[in-house]
Amino acid sequence: MGNVVTMHSRQGMSDEDRLVAVASGDRAAFRAVFENFAPRVKSYLMRLGASGAIAEDLAQDAMVQVWRKAGNYDPGRARASTWIFVIARNAWIDKLRREKVELAYQAAADPEPDGQEAPDDAAERTQTQAQIEAAINILSEEQKQVVRLSFFEDKPHSEIAETLAMPLGTVKSRLRLALMKLRAHWERYA
Amino acid sequence: MSPSHHPADDILTAYAAGALESGFGLVVGAHVEMCPACRRRLGALEAASGDALADLPGAALAADAYAQTVARLDGVETHAPVADRRPLLERLPLSKKKWIAPGVWVSAVKTPHAADDRVYVLHVGPGRPTARHTHLGAEFCTVLSGSYRDELGVFRAGDFAAADGALEHQPLVAGDEACVCLFATEGRLQAKDWVGRLAFAYADV
Repeated sequence: MGNVVTMHSRQGMSDEDRLVAVASGDRAAFRAVFENFAPRVKSYLMRLGASGAIAEDLAQDAMVQVWRKAGNYDPGRARASTWIFVIARNAWIDKLRREKVELAYQAAADPEPDGQEAPDDAAERTQTQAQIEAAINILSEEQKQVVRLSFFEDKPHSEIAETLAMPLGTVKSRLRLALMKLRAHWERYA
Repeated sequence: MSPSHHPADDILTAYAAGALESGFGLVVGAHVEMCPACRRRLGALEAASGDALADLPGAALAADAYAQTVARLDGVETHAPVADRRPLLERLPLSKKKWIAPGVWVSAVKTPHAADDRVYVLHVGPGRPTARHTHLGAEFCTVLSGSYRDELGVFRAGDFAAADGALEHQPLVAGDEACVCLFATEGRLQAKDWVGRLAFAYADV
């Protein structure tokens, strides 16, 4: 199969290069992105509380969107993992919210589609790769740890938020109450 | 003017992860739309989340997952839909306004959310007091336009406020412009007097 040969020759590509290739309709590059990310996206969605079947559907939806939106991907603005994470997260949010209200959930992902961008956003566009790396360092080590915890520890986000809330001195009850009651949600809306 | 009251780190982290109740996420999103600083913080949280995603052990997919996905690619439009640029208030699916008093109305936001939560827009005309009240649970609020003042300070367009059951307050509209806020509250508000209780019951907040 021609595709397999092409894919083979693309193994040295970064995910960023692959997304750029996907934008020009490269199926082999898409397959490589799919194989790397679709299982991880499914795993992330299950950690958010989705059942296996729903996580599978949403992971596939997210990958269809990766194909559809690849033309918007700008390697100068975001890493591939960030961009795909945002697509997966938004697929989850949209699933929860039957009525779609567009929100600024795409801080790092989508470029502004027209000339109306805010001055701050225009400045961000000139970010170099190094600046993208530096941007993460806005976060304290503790914050990065919490983000990672929420991915790797098999416990609800509400519990993780509690452990986060305490050192940061924020109101514990407020967050616990506001956090998504994931299982209950699925019973109600799935 | 950029907002001066922001969601705490824990709230923005949960928002970035997609882990907030949808009504509460909507209120945080309203702030983020109006706040360049929080868009930058959110971008950093998303980048950290992307790193974590890339390291996450994958879950097994259906055997034909790739084939199923590819079958859906043909005929899929390859350009993103044009973003809706109207102010958030015009994009929200609002139910019919309920007038509580002259200059004061409430409209529920028609998004799915937990049955015991309320998600609504409150419009209060200049010079109108609101009922003194407490909260049973969490309350998130983003000011969409105008401003109000309570025991915690002045909140202007774009500002975000989070309250819990411990807060009893009586917000007052500041300035001569109507104040419009988007709220998510857990449980009903508890008015401190019977007029307020009647109004809250009628408005279903």
